Amino acid sequence: MSAPVFILGGYQTDFARNWKKENKHIVAMIREAVEGGLEATGIDPKEIQVGHVGNFAAELYAMQGHLGAFLVDVDPAFSGLPTARHEAACASGSIAILAASAEIEAGRYDLALVVGVEQMKTVDPAKGGEFLGTAAWYEREAKGIEFPFPKLFGRLGDEYDRRYGLKDEHLAHISAINYSNAKRNPLAQTRNWYMTEDQARSVDKFNTVIGGRIKISDCSQVTDGAVSLFLASEKAAAAYAKKRGISLDSIPRLLGWGHRTAPIEFDAKIAESKNQPYVLPHTRQAILDAFRRAGIPDVWAVQAIETHDCFTTSEYMAIDHFGITKPGESWKAIEDGTIEMGGKLPINPSGGLIGCGHPVGATGVRQVLDAFKQVTGQCGDYQVENAKRVATLNIGGSGTTSVSFVVGFA
Amino acid sequence: MIPIQKVVVLGANGTMGAGSGEVFAAGGCDVVFLARTIEKAHEGLVAAQNMAKSVRIADRISLGTYDQDMEEAVAKADLIFEALAEDMELKKSFFAKVDKFRRPDSIVATVSSGLSIAEMALGRSESFRRNFLGIHLFNPPSVIVGTEVIPHAETDPQLVRDIVELLERRFGRIAIVAADKPAFAGNRVGFKVLNEVAQLAEEHGVAFMDYLIGPYTGRAMAPLATIDLVGWDVHKAIVDNVYAHTNDEAHEAFRLPGYMEELIDRGHLGNKTPQFGGFYRRVKEGNQTVQLVLDPKTGAYKDVRDTAVRKLSWLEKIRDLHHVGRYRQALHEFVQAEGPEADLARKVVFGYVSYALNRVGPDEVVREVRDIDRIMGFGFNWAPPSVLVDIIGRDEVIRQLERYKLPVPAVLRRVKAGEKMFREPHVNIGRFFAA
Repeated sequence: MSAPVFILGGYQTDFARNWKKENKHIVAMIREAVEGGLEATGIDPKEIQVGHVGNFAAELYAMQGHLGAFLVDVDPAFSGLPTARHEAACASGSIAILAASAEIEAGRYDLALVVGVEQMKTVDPAKGGEFLGTAAWYEREAKGIEFPFPKLFGRLGDEYDRRYGLKDEHLAHISAINYSNAKRNPLAQTRNWYMTEDQARSVDKFNTVIGGRIKISDCSQVTDGAVSLFLASEKAAAAYAKKRGISLDSIPRLLGWGHRTAPIEFDAKIAESKNQPYVLPHTRQAILDAFRRAGIPDVWAVQAIETHDCFTTSEYMAIDHFGITKPGESWKAIEDGTIEMGGKLPINPSGGLIGCGHPVGATGVRQVLDAFKQVTGQCGDYQVENAKRVATLNIGGSGTTSVSFVVGFA
Repeated sequence: MIPIQKVVVLGANGTMGAGSGEVFAAGGCDVVFLARTIEKAHEGLVAAQNMAKSVRIADRISLGTYDQDMEEAVAKADLIFEALAEDMELKKSFFAKVDKFRRPDSIVATVSSGLSIAEMALGRSESFRRNFLGIHLFNPPSVIVGTEVIPHAETDPQLVRDIVELLERRFGRIAIVAADKPAFAGNRVGFKVLNEVAQLAEEHGVAFMDYLIGPYTGRAMAPLATIDLVGWDVHKAIVDNVYAHTNDEAHEAFRLPGYMEELIDRGHLGNKTPQFGGFYRRVKEGNQTVQLVLDPKTGAYKDVRDTAVRKLSWLEKIRDLHHVGRYRQALHEFVQAEGPEADLARKVVFGYVSYALNRVGPDEVVREVRDIDRIMGFGFNWAPPSVLVDIIGRDEVIRQLERYKLPVPAVLRRVKAGEKMFREPHVNIGRFFAA
């Protein structure tokens, strides 16, 4: 990358909370994430020069737009702060990070605040599913369809099945790993839920089929949550380090990024990738771009991955798209334990979207914050030993907008 | 971690039996649900499946009856978990049988919410007494993670440490160690506040007190609605027990109001007796459900629409501030509010802080402030006293305690300037304040 972008830290709200039950406005969530981040890093609000908010659909879920402006409400020192809100479906948080990091690289600002936020428990699941349908081509792919996204990602599994074969037992194992990892994460939504591989394999009154091959156990969660992240230029990071008596080298960086957008319609994506080894080639390219910019040869240069598992099929896809296995052979990494905690390359030690939760606009920021925590040894019970570099993959729509980061030390 | 694999639940058809059994099964144990009949044990299994939202949790649960299966199940168990009714003689009669059948190294626990652990152990074998303790889970155990571990004088101290570790790391609980005193820690502090509000309701009205000490004061549910949920019989049992066996600065707060005593005699037990109700009652009028509210002075119920509570401007302002996440400013407004209603609210809320922190000490219910914070925060879903102190400020809290002639806890005086009392990592304190 042209100029280094450092990560100073951040804060995640407890994804198990229900803010409607608490009778809270979405600004309360933003405030807790920002105030928590300021406290965690010791950053003075006056030092922040720009703010970026990632959010998907507050207009629908919370009847509220113009979220960038809500940052200014958090602290009197923010009055006049330049802010903006970014939307790219479930990749909104990552796009907010990209916008903030681009400004730092360009030398416009030295210290940026990024917030990802989504309040989703305001409506019943069917209505929420319809809202999520606007991340696809609503009129063609979601209108009048109950739970369109599970069905679209079910078709991703079907496409794998058609090209390479896919066993649902492997998807069940992915689900069980994510639930199991989430039990170690004190901020994970499902940390006290019950889900075993047996339950994930079963179809019963509690684990119903949502669409195609996707059952409840294959799905990420309806989650309320906000996450803050502070990004800094070398100058600001050096000042931060000096003030705390630490070395600049101890502060991790956004080492690389990749950002690609595929056709929005699922059929168009599949048609485009026909006869190609990767089912979602643009997603693969976003990952390769991130590796190239980070100066790492392949996935084995990272020690953990936080990936987008909106459904078990998307994690299945991520395994080969990251290059852990050859295309179509993701099942091998599932069977041999590679992706489990303690495995060769753990995926979603946080629990991912299935276990930790998926507040849509916050997920990309949560992934990078978890990557930051991993490389700075702050993950407690879900710490991956000796994590120096962690990769993320955040996807908006049915594999449409893909953003990947590599976080850590060069 | 101690290797607990086989668990027996006595009283598995009850809410606490099924719920606790679900927690153990979800943590990977093989659990035997025992009840009087197989049908009753099966009721517990269905309840556990509903709590776990999993049919397959049944893979870890087997069923039996006291008459046919207790001897074998207890003999094989690593942990025998008693969740029978809150009746000392009943519990003791079962423990006598358990003592005959169990292995000398097995652990025996009671889920009792406040009866004497030491008394339950009386007359039992030496190995039973050494391996016996209270594990008080709150209702419903699948949702409420706060848990009290209560040793008696002869419980092996290492076992207490092991059980706390086990509960936290394997079963996802937030555990504390409490002394074997009436109602233990959570219920001692919680029911003091609940009963105090029930006493005040006689003069100020039910709906008004629930409004005045509502969620904005740092609780998930208003106090009198909470008593209806708990059950008036349970409430009576707890406060009567504390009133009879303790004599602290809040002794009179545990005296059950006369009107509750009379209504309990007439069968009003709260939500569990919908035909009578408790503080609130729902009745069908045609196709509509109408909420009625009790008038404690007469024992009659009135339509809640006819007893509308007068809104207080300062209280509404505080709710607005919580709504947008300005918790510090909200509590500042609470401290500054004027009028007799504000005084009444502050007396209850600061009374809670005073009473809770006064229960911390070597001869008290808990040893550390953190323990009382944990059980009030994660057992009761109330703002822990330390959270209130941190947000309001230690000096201001002391001023308020002195203003209302409430004892200033020693632990509060020891807090240094700028030092935070609430030490729980990973907890967003905003979760304790609803608007």
